[in-house]
Amino acid sequence: MVDKRCSLQEAVQMIQDNDMITFSGFVIWRRPMAAIYEMLRQEKKGLHLVEVNSGTHAELLVGAGAVSVWESCWIGHELYGKVPYCLDRKMRERSVIIEDYSHQQMLYRMTAGAMGIPYLPTWASRGTDILNPEYDMLEKAGLRNGANEKIPAKKFDFVQDPFYNEGELIHVPAVRPRVCIVHAQQVGEEGTIRIAGQTYSDEQAIKASDLVIVLAEEIVPESYLREEPERNLIPGYLVDAIVELPWSAHPTGAYGFYDVDGPFIREFAAASRTDERFVAWVDEWVYGVKDHEEYLNKLGVSRLEKLRANSYRKYSTKVKRGSR
Amino acid sequence: MADKQYAKPGEYSVVDMLAVAAAREVKDEEVVFAGTGLPMLAIMLAQQLGAPNCKLIYEAGTIDSKGDSLPSSVGDPRCVTKASVASGLFDVFNQLQRGKIDLAYLGGAEIDKYGNVNTTVVGDYLAPVMRFPGSGGNPDINSLARRTVFIMVQEKRRFKENVDYITSPGWMVKKWPEGTLVHRREAYGKKFLGGPSAVITNMAVFRFNEETGVMYVDTLHPGITREQLQENTGFELDFSHCKGETEPPTYEELRILHDVVDPEGIFLP
Repeated sequence: MVDKRCSLQEAVQMIQDNDMITFSGFVIWRRPMAAIYEMLRQEKKGLHLVEVNSGTHAELLVGAGAVSVWESCWIGHELYGKVPYCLDRKMRERSVIIEDYSHQQMLYRMTAGAMGIPYLPTWASRGTDILNPEYDMLEKAGLRNGANEKIPAKKFDFVQDPFYNEGELIHVPAVRPRVCIVHAQQVGEEGTIRIAGQTYSDEQAIKASDLVIVLAEEIVPESYLREEPERNLIPGYLVDAIVELPWSAHPTGAYGFYDVDGPFIREFAAASRTDERFVAWVDEWVYGVKDHEEYLNKLGVSRLEKLRANSYRKYSTKVKRGSR
Repeated sequence: MADKQYAKPGEYSVVDMLAVAAAREVKDEEVVFAGTGLPMLAIMLAQQLGAPNCKLIYEAGTIDSKGDSLPSSVGDPRCVTKASVASGLFDVFNQLQRGKIDLAYLGGAEIDKYGNVNTTVVGDYLAPVMRFPGSGGNPDINSLARRTVFIMVQEKRRFKENVDYITSPGWMVKKWPEGTLVHRREAYGKKFLGGPSAVITNMAVFRFNEETGVMYVDTLHPGITREQLQENTGFELDFSHCKGETEPPTYEELRILHDVVDPEGIFLP
């Protein structure tokens, strides 16, 4: 059997420039941040992000100039930063193509990819400018010419319901990323993924993708995961690389393991306001550390211990979250 | 109900007023979709008061949680505490499209008189001046929930005759490919389930004439004049159905909001 265990550096080397890529998680929860940092260190370029929703991780990639296309519905840092300054800057420079869909449309695009079908119909978001035919930005950029088999011929289509005569539905094209990077609490030695808490749209993102890389808080025996198979999300044969890397979602949070590091995200979001401050921030926290271990050492034990989840509650009871 | 003790102006903040007014929109037993921030405060306040049996769904995939620690966003483990189901987006968005959601709270950067909302860009979409976070689930929820309530900041630059980009559909929406404005009933046909029912701001509560699709002033918050409200609005307001003053927060509502719902001061200043 192939040993899928590898280092973070080796896993990230599997990602190529210009890859279509997606991630596990939800905005600021369970994002594979250690891999994002390593992608910056390895200077990945031309990435085509397709995400059910986006967040802090993508702002880092966009700000560092690693992204050429962003297809999603939302980007920001929840209450730690409402403006996606990096995408805003790259949008105005016209160095990133933005293709806007709604959340449900992106979810169904990823679901169609996971189901092995070319599209899904939906009612969601009729009457909006998301469906404005003038706003098909990949078409405007000449990228819907068939040269890239992962880019569909149209942003969407309208089709009459042939079965119940319920009118005109929106058809949204499948997303078929080449790579999905996942953060999971546990993965088996052969790749079985167990995710605790909300699974967000991870199942769809993983199953839609050709290559699946998992960063896990811990690698556990497959026999242990098979004691309660109903708690597992993905069988091992759908997974290509596994990296055991504690705290690898920091500063985003992971149910049962650690909370979101709000002040850290807030500082990054503030630094992202200008190119100069963004560069200074990544020089300190990404390029200035050799690897994940150095990053954790820089954060320090006391900071991480405050974030550590209570084993009963699944979130930290020590972290200060508000003004009181 | 007879002995309500209302707080006086100066004894509550703008955020308190917004949360309390929003909480009053919930009916008991309703299934409610809420996003991060003020909507969480509103629904949790409602659960402590007039709507103890309403079911709260968070967009990231948790249903009817009963935690005692306020989530700071919808992906938070605190949304999972004592929930009936913790799943994912595929579950909750399918329920939405199936027509199971009675009420949803939403926000926006810009709104027009028909309740169309922009959360995408400032300026021409093809040459934008500034990027907002984007649609998220706002247009999906606003398409497919039976009623939606918007919580917004009242400013002239936000209440516009026309929004720069229709992210989320109000009562008069675009019919494609022409882009002509049509009534929402026509755009949705057999899948018409409802639409925006109220807009709550720091100055007033607005509702909609569902036939014309146009917003009107329902109540003004205590201390706000018609002139002030009009000055902070970019289109001519309809006061013909104005019922007077918004019911201020009660001391009991403020106590629950600050001591029970958000004791850590996450969203309440």
